[in-house]
Amino acid sequence: MIKQAGNTARGLALAVAAFSAIAPIASRGAGSEGEQIAELKQKLDQSLKMIEALTARVRQLEAAQPASTPTAAATAVPADAQRIETVENRVAQMEASNAARGGDSSSLPMHGFADVGVANHNPWNPDLKGYYVGDLDFYLTPRLGTHTKALFELNFETDTDGSIGVDLERAQIGYSFSDAATVWLGRFHTPFGYMNTALHHGSWIANALRRPAFLNFEDHDGILPVHTVGAWLTGAAHGEGGKLLYDVYMGNGQRISGGVIDMRNAGNDHGQLIAGGRLGYQWTEGAAEGLQFGLHGFSSKIGDDQVPEHNTQLRVVGGYGVYDTDRWEHIFEIYLFDNKDVSGNGGTHKSTAGFAQFAYRAPFGVPYLRYERASLQQADQYFAQQAFGASYWRAAIGIRFDIDPKSALKLELANTHVTDQTPNQIQREYDDALAQYAIRF
Amino acid sequence: MNARCNRPIARLCSLPVWFAALFLAMAPPAVPAAGVGLSQLPQRWLGDDGRAIAFNSLAGRRVVLTMAFAGCHVICPLTIRRLQQMQRRFDARGERADFVIVGYDPENEGPADWRAFRANHHFDRSNWHFLSGSRDDTERLAHQLGFEFWKYDEHVMHGMRALVFDARGQLQLELDSDTKNWASAI
Repeated sequence: MIKQAGNTARGLALAVAAFSAIAPIASRGAGSEGEQIAELKQKLDQSLKMIEALTARVRQLEAAQPASTPTAAATAVPADAQRIETVENRVAQMEASNAARGGDSSSLPMHGFADVGVANHNPWNPDLKGYYVGDLDFYLTPRLGTHTKALFELNFETDTDGSIGVDLERAQIGYSFSDAATVWLGRFHTPFGYMNTALHHGSWIANALRRPAFLNFEDHDGILPVHTVGAWLTGAAHGEGGKLLYDVYMGNGQRISGGVIDMRNAGNDHGQLIAGGRLGYQWTEGAAEGLQFGLHGFSSKIGDDQVPEHNTQLRVVGGYGVYDTDRWEHIFEIYLFDNKDVSGNGGTHKSTAGFAQFAYRAPFGVPYLRYERASLQQADQYFAQQAFGASYWRAAIGIRFDIDPKSALKLELANTHVTDQTPNQIQREYDDALAQYAIRF
Repeated sequence: MNARCNRPIARLCSLPVWFAALFLAMAPPAVPAAGVGLSQLPQRWLGDDGRAIAFNSLAGRRVVLTMAFAGCHVICPLTIRRLQQMQRRFDARGERADFVIVGYDPENEGPADWRAFRANHHFDRSNWHFLSGSRDDTERLAHQLGFEFWKYDEHVMHGMRALVFDARGQLQLELDSDTKNWASAI
């Protein structure tokens, strides 16, 4: 009887120990480690109670029959206690492991955005109409450590000709000294204006259905080098009531190939750089809370694929203002071009582009108005060689409905006037009606 | 006019290869831990007044806990509004509860930012706590409680969610965007 009880206690303890040994492996495949641990603790408690009861019973029997087989029971209790201690330690280790899993550096959380829509003029190619597939944008931010940061943005996008393309839109690895200074290397969104760094590839993130046309991404016929491959120092200095924001960057001078700005992922052949900076101030409290103003400027030597090649020294300065609160989202940006033809005697050309957008965050949705205009000198080879380098203006009205925290429906009506006749564009006017379903995941 | 086919990356990579690589790289989503209690959560937090506060110190009262991003103008204002409705419901019943809002982004939003948030939104009640902690503790808390979030540059992507703990610190109720009326749920 005593031997049987001792064997039962040992077997139970061994079973608990064995279970604790395989539990970490099993828990990786389970949906919730917290549930696993709670269950394991419950089983451990039950086991402890059972072992205590059995131990008490063994002692009781030992007291009743002191002459019978004392060694098994005498050794079983310390051995079981040791095993129980091992199990408790294992549970503690599992708890610690589970708690630390939230910051597990080995995991690679992946998120992103997607959108589809329908329009009488495609948002990026007005010659197409009907249903369209927008972007499928994957965003990866592996956690590497306290100071080293990385982000990659891989975008499956429908190009203006309807084909699907894949772009590594951003590939940045950086070192963060503090909130005041982070240095990034790689391909990033060129820090000019507000929208280019605040509102990225995912349509869901913006209230408006699309970007202003002149701020479109390069492969959607944008006229600015919205991506740069190079180095970028960025940070913020917090003060009482606001913070000072700064950016300084340099990278490969871009090139116009086939009418599209190429940010030269692997370097350029003339060694010229794009260099620029941005300085802004954001109010974070008081009556001006949500207000932000900034100035920016950059210069880049940009060639093209013509024979002979045109080289333009692109010189841009500008400013932006934002009022972003729980109720309002107003944005304006202005860009002033003073481009110099450095390969011939084309002289300098001044052009302007800008937009103003007003949005109200109402309980039912976010209605918005936008006016955008670009007056681009067609004698400037920088604009003349681009697929959409023509002057235009567009007025748009739209609304965003948030279906749930992860999806939004947007509608927009717009009137667009292309006011320059170029080899790639004809002078014309058209009305847009667009709908878009955008999600994040 | 069109030079899309000139993009070297599009020529070099086929879509199936990209998809396969992406899905292989996917990590499992955070799952809320059932039955978790306040005492099991990270305890090192700073209030918007800069003073240390632990969840254990709130024992004996009901606690409504959510996570938020002070710069959020879409989801968080709605979440806060629902918490205020819950506060009114508690007041009407004569019940006392603490409201705890833990910041998602402690690297960019510390006690000073939450102090400004409190002032801007006129939260003057002492039972509302705006907490920030270390990045590790914040991620650990979010993981333990099932608050899924991710950062997209300066944006924090997150859902609408709050948890109600009873006076013993045990999880009592989960509220999310599918819960139509948070105040009537308590």
